[in-house]
Amino acid sequence: MAYVSMGEAHRRITEYLNRFCDAVSYQDSSTLCRLLSFSSNSPPLLSLADALNVFQDASSLIRQSDKFSEYGEILAHLFRSLQSYRVGNLVEAYLAFEKFANAFVQEFRNWESAWALEALYVVCYEIRVLAEKADKELTSNGKSPEKLKAAGSLLMKVFGVLAGKGPKRVGALYVTCQLFKTYFKLGTVNLCRSVIRSIETARIFDFEEFPRRDKVTYMYYTGRLEVFNENFPAADTKLSYALQYCNPKRERNIRMILKYLIPVKLSIGIIPKDELLQKYNLHEYTKIVEALRKGDLRLLRHALQEHEDRFLRSGVYLVLEKLELQVYQRLMKKIYIIQKQSDPARAHQLKLEVIAKALRWLEMDMDLDEVECIMTILIYKNLVKGYLAHKSKVVVLSKQDPFPKLNGKPVGS
Amino acid sequence: MAATEPKAATAEVVKVDLFEDDDEFEEFEINEDWLEKEEVKEVSQQWEDDWDDDDVSDDFSRQLRKELENSSEKK
Repeated sequence: MAYVSMGEAHRRITEYLNRFCDAVSYQDSSTLCRLLSFSSNSPPLLSLADALNVFQDASSLIRQSDKFSEYGEILAHLFRSLQSYRVGNLVEAYLAFEKFANAFVQEFRNWESAWALEALYVVCYEIRVLAEKADKELTSNGKSPEKLKAAGSLLMKVFGVLAGKGPKRVGALYVTCQLFKTYFKLGTVNLCRSVIRSIETARIFDFEEFPRRDKVTYMYYTGRLEVFNENFPAADTKLSYALQYCNPKRERNIRMILKYLIPVKLSIGIIPKDELLQKYNLHEYTKIVEALRKGDLRLLRHALQEHEDRFLRSGVYLVLEKLELQVYQRLMKKIYIIQKQSDPARAHQLKLEVIAKALRWLEMDMDLDEVECIMTILIYKNLVKGYLAHKSKVVVLSKQDPFPKLNGKPVGS
Repeated sequence: MAATEPKAATAEVVKVDLFEDDDEFEEFEINEDWLEKEEVKEVSQQWEDDWDDDDVSDDFSRQLRKELENSSEKK
């Protein structure tokens, strides 16, 4: 921490106080944003923090002036937070910032116009990020992390303040997205439900009015939730929206969208071009796509094993595993086409024996009963049109369209 | 997906696994805006829905054919 003289400290603190109070008086949101962005670690904020730690009694400065003492409570908590932040006491920093945030939100409520909305966004962001740091400090000291959960409660409160009829309501989606990030990090994604319900059903909200960047983020997270719930048509719609409207320069975000969208597309029979996988470094899907194209069940199994950890972490493993039925369909189709080329008259009859031979070649040892079982499932799920002649151990394929395409719908729907 | 938060540790320092989300969307800047350029349309067009063709000339299909022909010979 740099050396600061008392005089210089006094000067810096007074300067900040003036900037803050002027920003509020003149409704200068962008200045206010800069004054509150702790995580930016901007030189002015850090040098203010040093000044506070030297001066120690900023409250007296605040009290001395009517201009400053109007926001006395807000400023006192803010300063305490910044001081703690500067010396690395992140739990203390969080606790003080939480008090600041509560006081700030109370003021915000009283301001009729929505001029300070962006500053409120900054407060929401900072509280989440500070809470995460505070939790890290708690766990590194062997204590139970609980600040991020607390930040979630505060964010819900902010949401409530914005969920009204006035111009402030366009801020609700930003806060929603901060809540999503909070809940996803905590692993309590079920808590997303109530805020989603508000956004999507409350009459005060018109989704189109929200800023595009918030809509993109919203669709990304709700799209991911649809993937968890195996609601593939809905997941496709939402993630595709996020993909289409995301800033093309934000390649990391695009990659994340694709990471979830690709399994969804595969589930409805659509495959990504190789260029897409290359461009966004999504090589974990290369063999899966190849397996689907070929009908290669062995390759699918290998691909799932090779990236099992990654797929499990992102929660798409089960989605990809279910592609197995589609790969079976492709394999059956190939067997059919091959047979048609050598003996067209009898091609529509697939002997279970022949299928078993193909499966054995793909390192899947099955007896005819098991093969029959699989074929029954494929027929039931409309991946194969035909019927099982059980006695003759043959699948009799429909002469017309025996392997119906998914046409953008998931299997068995 | 629910996290179970452990109780406070005993005398030892217990390393608690904090949940992470590997795929946290990066924040857009407050005033970040962008035009829907050609690039955007491009990304949305990188999908194939007519890949399920009748082509069996690839290596895999040829090997499959050989396997199946062996089986019919053995009869």
